[in-house]
Amino acid sequence: MAYTIIFENLDKRSLPLVGGKNASLGELIKAGIKVPPGFAVTTAGYLDFITQAGIASRIVEILAGLNVEDVSALNSAAAEIQELIKGAHLPEDISGAIETGYAELCHKCGLKAVPVAVRSSATAEDLPTASFAGQQDTYLWVEGADRVVDRVQKCWASLYTPRAISYRVRNQFPHEKVLISVGIQKMVNSKAAGVMFTINPTDGDPSKILIEGNWGLGETVVSGSVNPDKFLVDKVMRETVSRTISTKHIECVYDPVSREVINADTDPERQCQCCLEEREVKALVQAARDIEAHYGRAMDIEWAIDRDFPFPDNLFIVQARPETVWSQRKAESKIGAKSGYQLLLEQAMKRIKVSE
Amino acid sequence: MAEEKAGRFPDPHEFKVPPELEGWEEMYPSHHLFSGDRADWEKQQFWYQDKIHAPEPMPPLDLLFQEAWQISLSQYTTRVFCIPPAQGIAQRMVGCYMYICAIAPPPPEVIGEKAELFGKRVFYVFDHYEELWDKWLTKFKALGEEMKALKVPAELPKFVPEDQVLPAPVGFYDSYKLIAAFDTLVNQMFKGWQYHFEMLNLTYLAYLMFGDVCRKLFPGISESAIGKMVAGAYVSMFRPEEELCRLSRLATESPEVAAVLKSSAAVNKKIADLEKTPAGKNWLKAYDAAKDPWFYVSCGSGWLHYEGSWISNPEIPYGYIKSYMERLEKGETIERSLENIDKEREEIVAEYRKLIKTEDDKKSFDGAFNTIRTIYRYAEDHLFWVEHWFHTIWFDKVRKFGKLLVDNGMLNEVDDIFMFHRYEIPELLTEVATAWALGVDIPVRGDFYKTKAEKRRNILKAAGEWNPTPALGIPPEEVAEPFTIMLWGVTTDKVKEWLKGVSSPKAGDVKEIKGFAASAGVVEGPARVLKLLKEIVDLKPGEIIVCPNTNPSWAPVFTNIKAAVTDIGGLTSHAAIVCREYGVPSVTGTGIATSVIKTGDILKVDGDTGVVTIVKRAG
Repeated sequence: MAYTIIFENLDKRSLPLVGGKNASLGELIKAGIKVPPGFAVTTAGYLDFITQAGIASRIVEILAGLNVEDVSALNSAAAEIQELIKGAHLPEDISGAIETGYAELCHKCGLKAVPVAVRSSATAEDLPTASFAGQQDTYLWVEGADRVVDRVQKCWASLYTPRAISYRVRNQFPHEKVLISVGIQKMVNSKAAGVMFTINPTDGDPSKILIEGNWGLGETVVSGSVNPDKFLVDKVMRETVSRTISTKHIECVYDPVSREVINADTDPERQCQCCLEEREVKALVQAARDIEAHYGRAMDIEWAIDRDFPFPDNLFIVQARPETVWSQRKAESKIGAKSGYQLLLEQAMKRIKVSE
Repeated sequence: MAEEKAGRFPDPHEFKVPPELEGWEEMYPSHHLFSGDRADWEKQQFWYQDKIHAPEPMPPLDLLFQEAWQISLSQYTTRVFCIPPAQGIAQRMVGCYMYICAIAPPPPEVIGEKAELFGKRVFYVFDHYEELWDKWLTKFKALGEEMKALKVPAELPKFVPEDQVLPAPVGFYDSYKLIAAFDTLVNQMFKGWQYHFEMLNLTYLAYLMFGDVCRKLFPGISESAIGKMVAGAYVSMFRPEEELCRLSRLATESPEVAAVLKSSAAVNKKIADLEKTPAGKNWLKAYDAAKDPWFYVSCGSGWLHYEGSWISNPEIPYGYIKSYMERLEKGETIERSLENIDKEREEIVAEYRKLIKTEDDKKSFDGAFNTIRTIYRYAEDHLFWVEHWFHTIWFDKVRKFGKLLVDNGMLNEVDDIFMFHRYEIPELLTEVATAWALGVDIPVRGDFYKTKAEKRRNILKAAGEWNPTPALGIPPEEVAEPFTIMLWGVTTDKVKEWLKGVSSPKAGDVKEIKGFAASAGVVEGPARVLKLLKEIVDLKPGEIIVCPNTNPSWAPVFTNIKAAVTDIGGLTSHAAIVCREYGVPSVTGTGIATSVIKTGDILKVDGDTGVVTIVKRAG
């Protein structure tokens, strides 16, 4: 069983091996969507690691009979497992595979140490019925093979945060059935980034696409730490129905000094400036339509626009998962089954209130 | 609400027009004036300026069309198809501008009676639309031909011809015929306008209904999208342009014909040159065959006598033919792609339909869609036949009377006839007929009428400089009349806007104007204000046209403009339809665009929201 697989060789059937996030990146590439290059560290890598490092059985023991309602017991069990994982020695063939994968990605991008995002990709996440959203760690702007390997191990450990453990118990997901893979993806040097839904999340209107964005990396939008610019677009006509330009105080950017991403104050003149050009909105709408058409359902998508490339090569999709809120609801009729004449008579009886 | 000073407009009876307009009242019939004897009722209504039909000061005779629509539109709503809570629209003139008001709903028992009749009468129309349309067109064309055939004496004879006296006297002669001819002409116009609304109220009602269904299913769906779903490709309004394309292609088949038509000679010379060759004769024959009805197109809205038509200005169609031929030589396609328009419409409808989640809603959507599609062509087709073809015939006939009045010393110029309202013209004609009947060298009161015409021209000019209040009286509680909602967009927001604008800012201070979001898209570019069609020669590619309104005779310009902004017209106006077809952003029915925007101003046209922003003033 391979420890790493490049995204191009993944699709939705790869889920047990690479988790939801990575499988969906492969699926997007198959659908002709532009996704930054990268590879997945498979669940086999995680499984062989905990087995060979001799910590697998210990994890099972700690979790057996744990009462997740007991907060302090939950916290100490979680801490203990995470320490086990982070402290265990990673077998050379697994770390070697990750290093090789990273070296090949560097070669592909023509860089010595390409900055990458290291993201957890659990096998129980981004399902149409349960999002498990944001339960596991993500590390941005990781440079160098050693750091990448270290962050992979940290992602594995994040499978056992108190929240993740209790979520599984409450949703009756057996722990041993939930495995973790890690995605290693070239960082988009985002001029602007954000999220889009192929449905209006406020009212479930399926004819709209909602785009939200901010300057810098998409984390400020995803985490809700900023009021993003909003575009509500008619999916069929591709017309912007409404646009809200917000005051965006902060942006998530890479800080070369600390070699980490930080939330920095946005310079005043860009705070009230729209983070997207008209043509970029149009291109995002096209991508949203393509993604929705490929999956045949409403989707929740993360996008980024790279400052290093010219338009339209600068537009990347970094994530797509099924929308879970409206898609779970039973659709209710808004009008009822009426004939044209019934509707005409109703219209004829209408009066429009004019004064207040 | 009525007591709130802030929430109302000036009382129409206390409102003062500028002194330069003194004497304006006599230009219009008494029933079009605010008056003491109707004051109680008039004070309670909400009157707003009708910038859709009367954006310019109203020449007295041109008021006839307004008079005709007031009666016709209202009667179909109140007495014929009986739209239950809706009543008619009343008109009043104030200083050469027209104000209208939608009458409040009738008492509940009347609404009940009307509802019963509505069901019986209206659904029948939808069930038999195709057949009724054929009947409509047949009778309308017949009426137009009747008007064309109407004899207006070119001059009054020295003595009536022998054959009218012997073997038996006809018994009535030119003095009678002259007056009767004008009466007949007026009656024909009124009849034409009765036909005009035959199915238009129902079309608008169906459009509002379909729009409402769309908005329930897809909140915030644009008017432009709704318009695209219902529009037809094969409509009369586009025929003039299609005929031009056909004639242009025909011309390119013969080098000698092409050479003549591409020259910059005057139209008369072109025709004379074409007459010299068989191919040229053939082409002229084809032109003449197309001319009636398809070149009976107004260069404006068809509402005003000074707009002119293709028939009266053949240099317009010939000019288009010349530019079409040049484009053909460059290998461009000049025709609208009808198949694409139809295909695009079907794709849009199918895509929205696919998004509907429940079978019940799908059924309603289909019912609503089929209902509007059944009748919508009426909105597109009637416009050509009535406002263009029929009005063009009318203006031509009226000018024949004008010429007779000039020849008989009553007026200085043919078009001075338009300075008199329709009840006054019989007086002028009677004066001429009387003088003729009385014998030789009988004086007429020519100076009296010439002075009057002159004075009225000056009043109209002064009125053009005046920016009157957008509204008068008290805003209504509710409106049900479909035209009021659709054409004038009367809503709470609109009324608020008018209230804000009670003290209209100076044209130069306006930064933003609002209209209908008729065709989607946002663009920025330089404005080209075109008050009259003949100014089109100044238009440069990539400019934004700003004009009173557009119509079939403007169609050829749409291929190289950035956007269109009009004073007049709603979501189903020509500009709206053509812009949607060509994918050009458009804001229609702003009411004031041509008066506040100057050529060279940089505009931002937002066809998604219906807002036009003046980004930078020229120079």
